[in-house]
Amino acid sequence: MFFHIVLERNMQLHPRHFGRNLRDNLVSKLMKDVEGTCSGKHGFVVAITGIENVGKGLIRDGTGFVTFPVKYQCVVFRPFKGEILEAVVTMVNKMGFFAEAGPVQIFVSNHLIPDDMEFQSGDMPNYTTSDGSIKIQKDSEVRLKIIGTRVDATEIFCIGTIKDDFLGVINDPTA
Amino acid sequence: MSLVADSPVSSSGSDDFAEFLDGHLDAGSENEDDGEAKREVASSSSSSSSSEEEFEDDDQPVSKRTKIPEAEIVQNGDGLEGSASHVIVKQNLETSSSASVSKNECAHPGSFGKLCVRCGAQVEVAGVSFGNIHKEILFGNAEVARWRDTDTKSVLCRRKLYLVLDLDHTLLNSTHLKHMVPEEDYLNNQIDSIQDCQNGSLFRLSFMNMMTKLRPYVHTFLKEASQMFEMYIYTMGDKAYALEMAKLLDPRNEYFHAKVISRNDGAQRHQKSLDMVLGDESAVLILDDTEHVWPSHRDNLILMERYHFFASSCQQFGFGCHSLSQLKSDESEPEGALAAVLSVLRRVHHIFFNELAGQTGRRDVRQVLNTVRKDVLKGCRIVFSRVFPSKFPAESHPLWKMAVNLGATCATEVDPTVTHVVAMDPGTKKSRWALEKDKFLVLPRWIDGANYLWQRLPEENFLVKSNEPKAEAKVKDSVV
Repeated sequence: MFFHIVLERNMQLHPRHFGRNLRDNLVSKLMKDVEGTCSGKHGFVVAITGIENVGKGLIRDGTGFVTFPVKYQCVVFRPFKGEILEAVVTMVNKMGFFAEAGPVQIFVSNHLIPDDMEFQSGDMPNYTTSDGSIKIQKDSEVRLKIIGTRVDATEIFCIGTIKDDFLGVINDPTA
Repeated sequence: MSLVADSPVSSSGSDDFAEFLDGHLDAGSENEDDGEAKREVASSSSSSSSSEEEFEDDDQPVSKRTKIPEAEIVQNGDGLEGSASHVIVKQNLETSSSASVSKNECAHPGSFGKLCVRCGAQVEVAGVSFGNIHKEILFGNAEVARWRDTDTKSVLCRRKLYLVLDLDHTLLNSTHLKHMVPEEDYLNNQIDSIQDCQNGSLFRLSFMNMMTKLRPYVHTFLKEASQMFEMYIYTMGDKAYALEMAKLLDPRNEYFHAKVISRNDGAQRHQKSLDMVLGDESAVLILDDTEHVWPSHRDNLILMERYHFFASSCQQFGFGCHSLSQLKSDESEPEGALAAVLSVLRRVHHIFFNELAGQTGRRDVRQVLNTVRKDVLKGCRIVFSRVFPSKFPAESHPLWKMAVNLGATCATEVDPTVTHVVAMDPGTKKSRWALEKDKFLVLPRWIDGANYLWQRLPEENFLVKSNEPKAEAKVKDSVV
């Protein structure tokens, strides 16, 4: 799920950046540091949308660096257990399939794929129903439910299921 | 400097995020299932403590909400915030709770990023990590055994066995651009385009600073072998290298798919194992140039003669001789190692599926390999002369054991049944005896050759020459 929240961070700035462009330098450094990172609490920071305020800078003892507390607004993405998401399938094998929803990698094991879908190996490995009407293969879009999440330093791992009602393929790329 | 209009999020700090979630998602009266069968309303604290959440308190409200028992919903449980709008969803979740197994009952067959793939709980699963599929995926031993069983059965049904291929010095030879010697500069004019993977053999990968030469006959080999075997690549190189080589060997991605195992995928640094190969040991053959990396699967191994094309490769192994590129020549296609091994593979495949077809017991490809191996030097009786140190127990010498594996019998003393004498020097007592009695007097390399090429090579090519500097020293003429 996406959230638009305000976060705070202490940014350290080297004196060479002081001057007329101090604020711009600060903002670009913030963007470089924060966009694309992950944290357990907020999830994945997708983009910074604005700076709310920049506090007074404090010079650190011993070095010339100055620390500014910056409050900024950003869009974050964090998957929750029980959440329903749409994802794109990236790899299919006999143990299940991998799907991606933005920065999140989701694995759906074959235990959590409906029993009437069988794995077919070959050029384009896929899961197909017995009558061939529904197929899950690479680049298919599926709706799945998250049943477990874990956040690493830079990645979020999730386990998903499509065994419940209303879950499964939304869009077949070959159709 | 806010670029966004009034956002509904009014909290202004990271700590408030948690509280915000608590407020909006809190289910109020907290009741959870312990197991699917139990329908009674249990207190949440005991069950929630058993579920290991990675996120701290934030997540609790969410999980509790999804596990409310049916009874609660029917009564329209008091204090459930927002429950009315969620009743239908929750009922669905409940009725389908059998699909998502409760954490206490789950057998945790495997884990992805340390989360159980069946129930989503954080677990530590002891098992095999399948790094070639994804670096975070791990399956427990029971599950892997099950996979192996079903996969082996389906592969055998299709009349195929498994073949694990090594890359370096077996199917190809690579070198860093900076390790190339000036004598190899002519190769720069002979580079094949990477688009021409079907027929090309010499490729330059500038982005990796490498030059790669595929072994002659490799394309035909792979094509023929793929009809008899499910093939895996297992290399001690890193993943990027392995995938690039797989692209060169298999441009249409029809042989390997995700079955490329590299150094980081394995459990141990300098050893290879069949853990990540989903085939039973009794149906796997291995093609490798190094024996010591396969400590527990020596019986499945077909040892390949090393392919040294580039000078750096020869230097790496300490050989003083010139490599194929320096000699401006290459292994011959029809008589090279790959062709010989392909015919061995064909024989093993034929014996396994045609001659052993009637057997209901477990057929073992290792036994078949042994049978084929013992055919190579069948009927030969070999005596060694001054090849082993004198106090050395002859039976333990690798050359003796190699000869025995190839089907020959060995003896320490000459007798009328001896057919071959192996020596380095034509002047020893046994050598002279061999010449008198018109037996074959060959160099130890003859046995090595038989081991690599799986056939009894013509003895004329391995005759022992005298040490005296004679121009054309024919064996029969040399007398010391």
